[in-house]
Amino acid sequence: MALPIIMPRQGQSVESCIITAWNKKVGDTVEKGDILFSYETDKSSFDEPAPEGGKILAIFCEEGDDVPCLETVCVIGQDGEDFSAFIPKSDDAEESAPAAEAAPAAESAPAAVEATAPVAAAEITGAISPRAKILAAKTGADLLKAAPTGPNGRIIERDVQSLLDRGLTVSGAASEGYTTAVEGSGINGKVVLSDLAPKAAPAAAEAVAPMAEYVDEKLPNIRKVIAKSMHASLSTMAQLTLNTSFDATKLMAFRASLKGGAEKMGLANITLNDMVLYAVSRVLLNHRSLNAHYLDDTMRFFNTVNLGIAVDTDRGLLVPTVFGAEKLTLNGLSRAAKSVITEAQQGTISPDKLKGGTFTVTNLGSLGIESFTPVINPPQTGILGVDTITRRIKEVNGEDVSYPAMGLSLTFDHRALDGAPAAKFLKELCFALENFDLLLAK
Amino acid sequence: MPKSQYVDPGKAFDAGYIHFEDIPVCQYNKTLKEELKIYSKEDMMRIYRDMAIIREFETMLNEVKTKSCYNGVEYNNPGPAHLSIGQEASAVGEAYCLDINDLSFGSHRSHGEILAKGLSSIEKLDEKELYDIMKEFLGGSVLAVVEKHMNAGGNIKELAINFLLYGALAEIFARTTGFNRGLGGSMHAFFIPFGLMPNNAIVGASAPIALGAALYKRSNHKPGIVISNCGDGATGRGPVLESLNFASMDQITKLWGMDGKFSDGGMPILFNVFNNHYGMGGQTRGETMGFDMVARLGAGFNPTQMHAERVNGYDPLAVIDAVSRKKKLLLEGKGPALLDVVTYRVSGHSPSDSSTYRTAEEIEAWKAADPIVAFKAKLILGGVATEDDFAKMHEDITARMTEIMKLAINDEISPRMDLNKDPDAIASIMFSNEKVASMDPGREADVLCPKEECPRVKEIAGKIRTAKDEKGKPVSKMKMYNVTDGLFEPIIDKFYEDPTLIAYGEDNRDWGGAFGVYKKMTEAIPYHRFFNSPISESAIVGSAVGYAMCGGRAIVELMYADFIGCAGDEIFNQMAKWQAMSAGILKMPIVLRVSVGSKYGAQHSQDWTAICSHIPGLKVVFPSTPTDAKGLMTTALEGTDPVVFFESQRVYGFGEEFVKEGVPVGHFEIPFGEPDVKKEGKDVTILTIGAVLYRAMEAAKILEEKYGISAEVIDSRSIVPFNYEKVLESVKKTGKILIVGDACERNSVMRDMASNITEMAFDYLDGPPVVVGSRNWITPAFELEKSFFPQADWIIDALHEKIMPLPGHVAANNFTDLEKIERAKKGI
Repeated sequence: MALPIIMPRQGQSVESCIITAWNKKVGDTVEKGDILFSYETDKSSFDEPAPEGGKILAIFCEEGDDVPCLETVCVIGQDGEDFSAFIPKSDDAEESAPAAEAAPAAESAPAAVEATAPVAAAEITGAISPRAKILAAKTGADLLKAAPTGPNGRIIERDVQSLLDRGLTVSGAASEGYTTAVEGSGINGKVVLSDLAPKAAPAAAEAVAPMAEYVDEKLPNIRKVIAKSMHASLSTMAQLTLNTSFDATKLMAFRASLKGGAEKMGLANITLNDMVLYAVSRVLLNHRSLNAHYLDDTMRFFNTVNLGIAVDTDRGLLVPTVFGAEKLTLNGLSRAAKSVITEAQQGTISPDKLKGGTFTVTNLGSLGIESFTPVINPPQTGILGVDTITRRIKEVNGEDVSYPAMGLSLTFDHRALDGAPAAKFLKELCFALENFDLLLAK
Repeated sequence: MPKSQYVDPGKAFDAGYIHFEDIPVCQYNKTLKEELKIYSKEDMMRIYRDMAIIREFETMLNEVKTKSCYNGVEYNNPGPAHLSIGQEASAVGEAYCLDINDLSFGSHRSHGEILAKGLSSIEKLDEKELYDIMKEFLGGSVLAVVEKHMNAGGNIKELAINFLLYGALAEIFARTTGFNRGLGGSMHAFFIPFGLMPNNAIVGASAPIALGAALYKRSNHKPGIVISNCGDGATGRGPVLESLNFASMDQITKLWGMDGKFSDGGMPILFNVFNNHYGMGGQTRGETMGFDMVARLGAGFNPTQMHAERVNGYDPLAVIDAVSRKKKLLLEGKGPALLDVVTYRVSGHSPSDSSTYRTAEEIEAWKAADPIVAFKAKLILGGVATEDDFAKMHEDITARMTEIMKLAINDEISPRMDLNKDPDAIASIMFSNEKVASMDPGREADVLCPKEECPRVKEIAGKIRTAKDEKGKPVSKMKMYNVTDGLFEPIIDKFYEDPTLIAYGEDNRDWGGAFGVYKKMTEAIPYHRFFNSPISESAIVGSAVGYAMCGGRAIVELMYADFIGCAGDEIFNQMAKWQAMSAGILKMPIVLRVSVGSKYGAQHSQDWTAICSHIPGLKVVFPSTPTDAKGLMTTALEGTDPVVFFESQRVYGFGEEFVKEGVPVGHFEIPFGEPDVKKEGKDVTILTIGAVLYRAMEAAKILEEKYGISAEVIDSRSIVPFNYEKVLESVKKTGKILIVGDACERNSVMRDMASNITEMAFDYLDGPPVVVGSRNWITPAFELEKSFFPQADWIIDALHEKIMPLPGHVAANNFTDLEKIERAKKGI
């Protein structure tokens, strides 16, 4: 039995995905688990493994195609199996959909047969009178060969009639996959299924590298999305950033103690960043204007903390969400954060996990950044940047004492709240971090 | 222009003077004592009672409008209420003199007149007649309410007063138990069995309608007179002035009659002006008019000066005195008459009137002269009744009015029309759709000779009823039965069949109509059924409406369709609307003939089918062949609905080219709404409106011969109603349709049809339905008309450019989208 492979639906809100690469081509033999193709949503990318072994009988989409979820992308099966039932239905025969690629008939030479150049397709504007359309549907007239004679290149009834007079029709079986005109081999030149040859494979040789000293690369979808949301964020909000630091002595000591006992206690590898996340999840609920969405004329305050965590990935910035962070233990939060960060970095995260944040934490401290201005992820009202640790001097009992100071950079939306409340949040957060043991005791 | 009246140049320039008689101004000076010799004390008390009832009725409405509460009963009435507080003596005085046969028409401020005339009729009818009228009216539904819910103490007259007040108020409050099922409302309430004819929300519109009622009485020898009530403001309106003239025209006394007898005399109509000094806020005397006194107008219309008089309308006895004298004159055949009844509207024009145009001092002064208070004082002084008698009367009236109001606002007893339950309630009364051969069956028609002896009938009998003879040779024009003959035949037949049928318009009689449709009919039909009207389009159409309201059938003619504008209100608001506004009580068997010209430039060549078909309530047809003209005219004359009958001057002389057997002899009807396939074809449909049919046939011929395309040509014939089935059937066959007509293309009937066809045949279309109409310009001179009206080659070019390019065809006319956009941008 031939097996259709559909475009999976990655998350409820996803309607279509873009095929980014084909690893297989028609005629290839695949093993179960082989990656057939890669695809991406606007936020994540995925690989589709073969659910079964077999031969690729047909591929219906090309790289770069935006394919509706659940639509058949390719068919795996055994040589000679009929897969016509799986050919995606096209709403409109004239639509410039990509040419279907079909396996050559078993006895044909394996070399791809070059499709015949379209006869009249180039002249087709897509316009067809309702009457002509219905007549064509009824008779199977080969519209791709129609020479439109109506006003503005419209196919009218007589054009269909002329096709019928010349016997130019398409068989029912072939009609669905037939999108590029070919000479028919059936009776009276009827296009039959066997006429639907695969298009010539893409030229094997890569195009010669350009001589110029630059390379144009189309922006990946995700980059476009990031660009758009960053620009929207800065152009529509009133953002400003407050910088502060706290004495991380105790925090670091606590972290060291955790490191020692983690394995015994079955704890995760709890990082300083996890502790910051934990403190934020606890303190944030006391500052509802920062755990909120600013929506035109409404503020939406959340009763739960859905913590967005900015993650640098190969594909660009992603912000997965840990939902209900305030209810998690430090260990639980740490595990949850690691899980979504890993998924984001691997590009396998569900788009549903890339939404719904109420506040975001971003960490450039590990890259030695001492202070920065994070950009808010709208419609959130704040984002906390975690900076690196530097040694600072403070006076203790008349003596200069050095201590590890960890920087915090809070960007907030001044439309949603004023400077003082934002500063109060930072102050409380610093206190909690400086007295992390007390926070845990709470 | 009768030949019997010689216009003598020897006398036309004679020197001399026009002499005027004095017009009496408030000359009434009888004492109560003198009047009591004529009228009994009971009469006097009844006059008072009627005034008091009107006052209370109007006061109640005023309270409802301004305070939403009358005598403790709360109600909100969003509809209009133009009250006549102050004018009661004028209304009651007039109605006192009228009998059941006398008809009264009024204005938007006519509650007082309705009640006065109703109360007067109740007094004059005997109890049995009265009860039968109430019982029969609208299936007894109005009577049932007052019989069930009010106690009249077994007194039929009291019951009838309850009936009158309730029927009127329920109408004002838009209840189905109102006199017109609530569809007329405050400004249009009426009750024909009491001689209470429709009132009108259009100022002055009742004048031509009342004229038509008088015409009905005059032409059909019916007893009674007609009162045309209006305000002084209405005397500024053309239709009123046209009616004063129409009613006064010489021919009525000089030419009308039978066998040399002119016994019926002048038009039995009294134009009664309730002169309350204001047309809304415009002061007639001193500001908006120049007549000083309305009565002066009489001197402008005929040598009798319309027997005009100015009367004190604050004294009911002065009004009775004047109206009874005028009525006597009218019954003697000396009409028409004109009364200027001086009164005052103490209430505002409407409750929203803040009286910015008059002083409080003025209102107070008129209040001090209150006609009801003054009459009461007079009666007390004269010993007719005591203060207590009046107090008791007022108490009764208030109690009755309160009871009536409670009934009229009770949603269960007096429900409104439920259009959710009965969605076709209004649709079903837009047309009466009846077939009535004679509006007065049994009565013999007034004619001058047997039909067979009518010269035109004899002439037609010798004509060939096809355009070509048996050998295919064109029949000579003189021998050929043409479109005018097709129109004439059913008209002359109906003249002999229906005694009420009359035909008039400009130049109808001796000329035979400007285009000869009525040629040689003078020998058969007497003047009072067939005459030349003055050049007064409003009065022509308006009088036909009044004529039809009284039960007659009329064919009126406007010569050119372009003159429709001159009779705009009469066609669009009166003729079209009265059947439905009367809840189907009135019928409107009127055929309004209008002719679409050519060769005569911008104001004499317009096809205005779109304007007429836009107005709900009119049937619109447009035949172009002798057979269709005959069949559709027959149907129009059999029916009871108003028909705007379009004709084309291009084709009056055309013979029958489509029906092989020729125009059928004898009675035959073509149902309205049915288009006709004039030529069968399979490749493209051409739907025509009017005389463009012949150019479409020419196009079809070229398409066939030059391009091998077979065109089906369908003549719409009717516009309202219209059955699309045949057209859709054709479009399903051909997939292509052009809609062609001589009207300017923008917003035309063609556009409407194209839109409907697109909706209904979309899946069958091989291209958009394309309209080929005239340019959106003025019609130029005849020599330039080919650039204005659609021609055969336009039709072919439109097909070529918009639907199906024709091999080898080069379009001479630009039907491209670009051109269309440009024209639309410029509004041309």
